[in-house]
Amino acid sequence: MTKFEIGDRVTVKDATSMFHTRTQAFIRGHTGVVVEHRPEWVIPEDEAWGRVEDGRTEPFYVVRFRQTDLWPRYTGFEIDTLETECSERWLEPAGEADT
Amino acid sequence: MTHSHDDHAPIQASEEVSEFEILETAIRELSIEHGLFSREDHRRFSEWAESVGPSGGSKLVAKAWVDPEFKKRLLADGTETCKEVGIDWRDPTGSGTPSDYTYFYVLENTPKVHNVIVCTLCSCYPRPVLGMSPDWYRTPNYRRRLVRWPREVIAEFGLHFPSDVEVRVHDSNQKSRFMVMPMRPEGTEGWSEEQLASIVTRDTMIGVAVPQVDWTATTPPSDNGGTAR
Amino acid sequence: MMTDKAYDVILNTLTPETTRDDVTLPDLDRKPDPWESSMQATVECLSWRGAWDNLDRRHTEDQLGETIYRDFPVRSRSVVATAHALMDKGVISPDELEAKMEEVRARFNRQ
Repeated sequence: MTKFEIGDRVTVKDATSMFHTRTQAFIRGHTGVVVEHRPEWVIPEDEAWGRVEDGRTEPFYVVRFRQTDLWPRYTGFEIDTLETECSERWLEPAGEADT
Repeated sequence: MTHSHDDHAPIQASEEVSEFEILETAIRELSIEHGLFSREDHRRFSEWAESVGPSGGSKLVAKAWVDPEFKKRLLADGTETCKEVGIDWRDPTGSGTPSDYTYFYVLENTPKVHNVIVCTLCSCYPRPVLGMSPDWYRTPNYRRRLVRWPREVIAEFGLHFPSDVEVRVHDSNQKSRFMVMPMRPEGTEGWSEEQLASIVTRDTMIGVAVPQVDWTATTPPSDNGGTAR
Repeated sequence: MMTDKAYDVILNTLTPETTRDDVTLPDLDRKPDPWESSMQATVECLSWRGAWDNLDRRHTEDQLGETIYRDFPVRSRSVVATAHALMDKGVISPDELEAKMEEVRARFNRQ
């Protein structure tokens, strides 16, 4: 049961650094588009503590960002993108304010 | 000096044994003495680390170029399709998987999209298909700069794209591992899979280069890098 | 977390020839020496057998390689970080490492 569908615009939560998270600082607070689903696996925050058997699993998504959104002084072209994988807990639906 | 022509002396890359080599040996032997792992463990991983080069990846790409059905399978399920060329992501050494990767995805380059891979967090790399990662791939230099200035970084390798081609950076921060499937260059009509594989070099599967008909993994390039068509 | 004081036994392995100089990305491209491949196998074994997880090790390589061992070449990061970590964890002592290196050096020079 996935919360987000392909094509959904999502924003990465701007939570403070949690120990052993794999969510990069440079995508937090930014909005992208879900382009793929990934298989469910144990979230890094639990896996880091060795809880592979009983750690929390959840859906992962490939999120695509526009580089011009991520970097204020991006020197490439408008068309460029960056993709990375996010666990569901790190994503929320993009607000109306994001266009 | 005695033993200067000893037939059994190990073959050295340089004449002197370096301090790093001494440190490495000391660490390994102490680890074994303290029971952290066995000599047999180390031998098996050594064998694997030294034997795995980019040939697995080259084979996958060459096969995909000549066989559309294989290409479809590879793009749909990289992990499973690798078994067709003898690569098992869950069991690369025959003794279990030491690293934390699980899923393998092949990223197809098109005339409109050029893919390039990086791991900003820790330099993960698709070793079962590409072997050991290059030094530069592991440096903060590459990892920090590729996500921010991808076109500058690939330009340092001689690769440029016009403004209507999307440069798409993939940061393998989780459990997936990626490899780029470059486009088949012109001038390779009628080539065998082996010939095609020979021009699919490691750098073309990372995304900092594109295959060229006159440049294989073992012959130096005839010019300075290449420009995408 | 690793201590931030460099161990002398590690610092003493650096020579003027091996000191890191800033080079461009393509210049860092070189064929690994056999000891590098051997070190790669060692860290895999340490992770596989539970002594030191690969992810922790990579983070430590970055952290130490950019700070207290910043003069070391990138290709030595694994061996440097691993030596540092094993001493920090109390698995081996600096004296023990020093002694083992002496023994290895003598053995190699005998060949």
